[in-house]
Amino acid sequence: MRITKRAATVALLTAATVAITGCSAGGGSTDSADAACEPAEGKVELTFTSWIPGIEDVVDVWNKANPDIQVAVQTGPNGNGGTYANFFNQLEAGNAPDLGQIEYDALPNFRVQDGLVNLASCDGVMDAKADFVDWTWGQVSFNEDDAAYAIPQDSGPMAMFYRADLFEANGIAIPTTWEEYAVAAEQVRATGAYITNFSQSDINQFAGLVWQAGGTWFGNDGTDWTVDLTDETSIKVADYWQDLIDRDLVSTQPPWTTEWDNAYNTGAAWTWNSAAWGANSIASGAPDTAGKWAVAQSPQWEAGDEASGNWGGSSTAVFTGSEHPYEATQFALWLNSSSESLTMLNKAANLYPAAKAGLDLPVLKEGVEFFGNQPIYDEFATASGQVSADFVWGPTMTQTYNDVSDGFKAAVSGNGTLAEALTTGQSATIDALKAQSIPVKE
Amino acid sequence: MSAPALPAADARSAGPRSPAPRPRKIKVAHPRAIAIFIVPFAILFTLFYLVPIGYAIYQSLLVVERDGTFGKATEVFGGLTQYILVFQNGPFWESITRVLAFGVVQVPVMLGLALLFALLLDSPLLRGKRFFRLAFFVPYAVPGVIAAIMWGFLYSPNLSPFTALTSNVSFLSADLVLWAIANVVTWVYVGYNMLIIYSALLAIPTEIYEAARLDGAGQLRIAWSIKIPLIMPAIVLTGIFSIIGTLQLLAEPQVFRSFSSAVTSTFTPNLMVYSTSSIPNVNLAAAFSVVLALATFVLSFSFLKFTQRKEGK
Repeated sequence: MRITKRAATVALLTAATVAITGCSAGGGSTDSADAACEPAEGKVELTFTSWIPGIEDVVDVWNKANPDIQVAVQTGPNGNGGTYANFFNQLEAGNAPDLGQIEYDALPNFRVQDGLVNLASCDGVMDAKADFVDWTWGQVSFNEDDAAYAIPQDSGPMAMFYRADLFEANGIAIPTTWEEYAVAAEQVRATGAYITNFSQSDINQFAGLVWQAGGTWFGNDGTDWTVDLTDETSIKVADYWQDLIDRDLVSTQPPWTTEWDNAYNTGAAWTWNSAAWGANSIASGAPDTAGKWAVAQSPQWEAGDEASGNWGGSSTAVFTGSEHPYEATQFALWLNSSSESLTMLNKAANLYPAAKAGLDLPVLKEGVEFFGNQPIYDEFATASGQVSADFVWGPTMTQTYNDVSDGFKAAVSGNGTLAEALTTGQSATIDALKAQSIPVKE
Repeated sequence: MSAPALPAADARSAGPRSPAPRPRKIKVAHPRAIAIFIVPFAILFTLFYLVPIGYAIYQSLLVVERDGTFGKATEVFGGLTQYILVFQNGPFWESITRVLAFGVVQVPVMLGLALLFALLLDSPLLRGKRFFRLAFFVPYAVPGVIAAIMWGFLYSPNLSPFTALTSNVSFLSADLVLWAIANVVTWVYVGYNMLIIYSALLAIPTEIYEAARLDGAGQLRIAWSIKIPLIMPAIVLTGIFSIIGTLQLLAEPQVFRSFSSAVTSTFTPNLMVYSTSSIPNVNLAAAFSVVLALATFVLSFSFLKFTQRKEGK
């Protein structure tokens, strides 16, 4: 009896301690500002969350070479597929990993939530600025001096993947303008297939198309945000696709499903306006079509234009609360600028490096077997140089994407239009900013 | 967040009958023993129910303030600001209406089937009871997400083994997707509810059946006039569980969202909570959760009161 009583007391006390420490950990760990970025003494262990296929092997290489800075990598679903939600929860709970993969479009969201460490004072970061493609550095520094809220990893310059064999066999010209693309869409439809699938949930792809057309969705003048999902350019792009949807010239299957893979795998969809990393998606989703694909520059709005959009591309950020920003930064710099790492990332996941030196990697000059040995990265290099640096992302992109996607879903089901979806997304975004007291101009 | 109504409703449905006279007999003879038995439960209950609920309520009373476009957020007491937003939020109430419509149809169908299967298993006419008992229960062992993915393939217009049907009837369209989901939920939970009802049937003393047979009642008559009234408490219990489950639909619509154009980020109340918290706007998400939990509680409690009054008559 005495023993059980003591056991019960111990159990109770333990539970109470757990409860108390649990609470305090959740509370006040975020108020330390940018800590000095100094190396720690002794061995350091870092945690890193990413969703790049094959990232474990790259981290292994680092771990072997750096016994004092050991990185434990954790993989998850892609950012908007759940990893960002996890990051936000972990930040709220004060137990975020040291490093995380964040796409450029989500960086403002994390910065607004005070989730990112400014790495500008860390050794080597500001020196690295010139090593990265200008617009990617603009995204991680928010175009501010003395700021680097992440290290750019890869970018997603957009081009057009197309079924070279089918276009040729049917005598259809490869479209170079969106007008020609619509004409080709009719010709492709006449064969029973679709020229492409309009994605109802990849709003970042749609943003890339708007980006190419010269539009921008957000602005930030330092005192206020502006939200502009419904400017002339965005509406022009929305109307263009709405027309193709209305005429049943594009399919509207939910993307990233087996059904969608199947459409590409069986030749029911002929093109995909996607980013460099999309090469990996096609190869894994449509394995039966190996050797039949090719890459061309995106169709242009005016013949002779040379503009490209960007879809995706990630950075490596250090989260608020990391005790070892110095070591974390060293790892992030190595991961995103060493030729060893960039070569591995390209081979495993077709990542197109944000580091300028990475663009000259031998692996990026080689022909890619899946694309009939076309050196496809030449096309992406051209596209990369044509991406405007002016596109700004909003501070609640998860919400903006959700709301616009809800509208796009309705539009492809015949309720409303893509332009209406943008209008709804516009007001929903403004509401979301206001709800968080983020200053916004109406 | 909204799970709290579950044990409360559970305790209530079981509460009024059994323990009434007992505590007085024991008095407080073994306070330490009682404490030891209660403490493990109390600790877990506090940690995993009371504290999170309290935290959600606390969060829902805060609003965020900040200066500048990237200003640091400070949370200040905002009273019922978030609740006003909840009540002004059209999509939230639409999602509640949607799951209510879902529940009104799906719950009776599911429980009807569960009752039918339980009665069949209990009837002396059926052979291979063990096999059927297991066969009906197996879907419950399939995790909800897997079940939803599997059914997604079955509904798929091009990949389904039943394309002759699915290419003509679009189960994933706005008109049908709610019922397509209802079918998945029914498939998963019929066996589970059947087992609860079946175990209540097993507890009925066999003398009652003998008496009924002596009075000339057939199997149908026994089922209708004896079995069903006696197992009413079990049916009510499954009813309450199902109402709670309906309001908390998350996994199935979340999975369907990726392959159906008709499932939006605000399709069910819990999906709405999920998308709000990933903005992240935890304060508003907390307010949604609290309102949803209250709605669940009110609904389960009124259902209980309603059925008890009927029993009373």
